Amino acid sequence: MATNERKDITEITVFSNGPLKVSGNFKLTGSNLKLIETGNEIYLCRCGGSANKPFCDGTHKKIGINDKNV
Amino acid sequence: MDPRERKYSNGEITVYWKPRECIHSSVCYMNLLEVFNPRKRPWVNMSGASTRKIIDVVNQCPTEALTWKWNDEEKNKTVTEADTNHIKFKRPHDFEKKEEDSILEVEQDEPLKIRVMKNGPYIVEGSYVLTRADGSEINMMGMSSFCRCGNSNSMPFCDGNHRKTGFKE
Repeated sequence: MATNERKDITEITVFSNGPLKVSGNFKLTGSNLKLIETGNEIYLCRCGGSANKPFCDGTHKKIGINDKNV
Repeated sequence: MDPRERKYSNGEITVYWKPRECIHSSVCYMNLLEVFNPRKRPWVNMSGASTRKIIDVVNQCPTEALTWKWNDEEKNKTVTEADTNHIKFKRPHDFEKKEEDSILEVEQDEPLKIRVMKNGPYIVEGSYVLTRADGSEINMMGMSSFCRCGNSNSMPFCDGNHRKTGFKE
């Protein structure tokens, strides 16, 4: 499918041993629903070790992720 | 019936717990630890808050893991859908059957909501396309929770392991 046909669709991409990429139209909030960021593209921490949570800072490369079943 | 299912009553309402439906969103104990405390047994303490407050938090459960009913059957007849507010939750395999559906059919009126739960997962609500690590694509809709601690055994989804491993931020 051509990329231009799906530009309105929000996508979440899981990277093996890496972050979640979110692209498209989204609203990121905290537990308290306070706005952190709105779309276009972000990389979210999936390893639990980022010093810049909720965003990825590359720490997964050092500490790894339990991704044997991903 | 799952033998792990439980019900808890305060005389006025009964709260039903279906562990199999739980996606570990942490909404219940983040909002009302006095009643919902996963570290305690039983984990639900019906005398920890008022009936109104308990109903309010049970209604925020993103799945049907927690539901409630009035003990007085007459009162249940007046309960409307708006009073119970259970958002239909679907797991990825519910979507895989519909793989032939065009991606364009996914409605995208509102921005996808992603909520970062403190010491817990990402709660995602809305419709989106999920690309898994093997490159397969699934049209997703409804609510799901993604692991944020790195230790789930059902990656990329949350399985509640953040509590066991003590994920803190």
